[in-house]
Amino acid sequence: MDTDLVIRAQGGDQEAFADLAATIADRFLATSHRILSDIDLAEDATQQALLSIWQDLPQLRDPARFEAWSYRLLVRACYAEGRRTRRWAPNIRLLPVDEPMAADGFSSVVDRDQLERGFRRLSLKHRSVVVLHHYLDLPLDEVADVLGIPVGTVASRLHYAMRAMRAALDADAGTTPREAAQ
Amino acid sequence: MSTDRDVDRTVRSWLREDRHEDADRLLNTVLDQLDTTPQRRASWPAWRFPIMNSAMRIGLAAAAVVVVVFLGYQFLSGPNVGGPSPVETPTPSPVPTATPEATPAAYVYPDAGPLAIGRHQLTEEGVPLSFSVATSGWSIDDTGYIYKDTEVAADQAEFLFWSLANIYSDPCAHTPLSPPVGPSAADLADALWTAFGTEATEPSDVTVGGRAAKHVVLTVPEDIGCDRTSFYLWYNDCGGVSSDAVGCYRYATELGDTIRAWIVDVDGARLFIEAETRKAAGPEVEQEIQQIIDSIVFE
Repeated sequence: MDTDLVIRAQGGDQEAFADLAATIADRFLATSHRILSDIDLAEDATQQALLSIWQDLPQLRDPARFEAWSYRLLVRACYAEGRRTRRWAPNIRLLPVDEPMAADGFSSVVDRDQLERGFRRLSLKHRSVVVLHHYLDLPLDEVADVLGIPVGTVASRLHYAMRAMRAALDADAGTTPREAAQ
Repeated sequence: MSTDRDVDRTVRSWLREDRHEDADRLLNTVLDQLDTTPQRRASWPAWRFPIMNSAMRIGLAAAAVVVVVFLGYQFLSGPNVGGPSPVETPTPSPVPTATPEATPAAYVYPDAGPLAIGRHQLTEEGVPLSFSVATSGWSIDDTGYIYKDTEVAADQAEFLFWSLANIYSDPCAHTPLSPPVGPSAADLADALWTAFGTEATEPSDVTVGGRAAKHVVLTVPEDIGCDRTSFYLWYNDCGGVSSDAVGCYRYATELGDTIRAWIVDVDGARLFIEAETRKAAGPEVEQEIQQIIDSIVFE
């Protein structure tokens, strides 16, 4: 991350912030989309996070820590958006405007359904850990830094989440976790 | 699935599938708002303490003590003691104004995670209620989706409290019932019974939380002619919060599942309570579900 851009944006330079935001926006949207499992909510969360970054940037003491700090704001925005609606419950999906009666279009979903269902059952806190670690490739200590929680808590949440995902996949394969462990 | 590494790899691969996100539009929206979004300046002091010698430190500490003692005395001894009489300022008499009533939240759920044995409160569609859980293993997620996870897949179960706008007359073709379901609990129960034909029990009269309710038991057919995620059961408007969707639909969790539905009118809101169990579910799960239903109290 270009710390010079961060410092200039901290000083209120909108062009610098525009450049900064452009470098992170796609990644932010992809991350929030995975945490929230809903593109509408993800867009709202990303938009809110970017605005929060602009607003609070002068309070960032160490520009070199911009990345972890900005992801923390993104995860917070995801939490806030996720609590606004229940429309991503495990067996409920959005009904698109243009094809409410389409008979297909979700065939590929079948293959991923167990994964999605398992993931949607996780709380936002657990999903965030999974996405930060397995999608963004952040090591556990950096995940802890982003979320502002101890590394042990991150490890515990990740363990719980992956055990749940494993159970979802095992259910798909027609086996129980107990059977799979044997 | 055999090892943790397999699970990690599968989850990573799934997370990294291209989902076609494009942030350009929202980025422009954000940049358009910068002029009207002031930055919050740092609240910590920008200055630093000068290097002080011992005399300065003692002097500053003494001054601070004096200030604290003085302020404390002023605070404890009440207003205006020893001071000039204050200028009487007329106190405006309270004018009765219409205080805006706080709008109660339409959806309030317990914190996501395991539900402890005992009573829990939630609000669905603006209807506050409580229910009790008598056995362990039940959890709730952030969306108010209540579920029981067990190592025995057949004993897993799900609970949903929500409202329905309509049901599908042809679940695979995604054809909504026309005309749509009427507004009462009886209307919805009859529509479910009719739509599911032999796969539904006749609506019965029951009591939920001391209120008259309708109860229907549905079985998701196993020969549905489409995959289960394309087998649409019912839908609502999802709170109308989506820009590119007209609502949310519910699909069959598993073929052969049993869905027990309780429909109750609560002060103008039609609450739809559904519990879904697997085909091979044992009687214990059914008993636990019934226990939760029997424990419901509308607040």
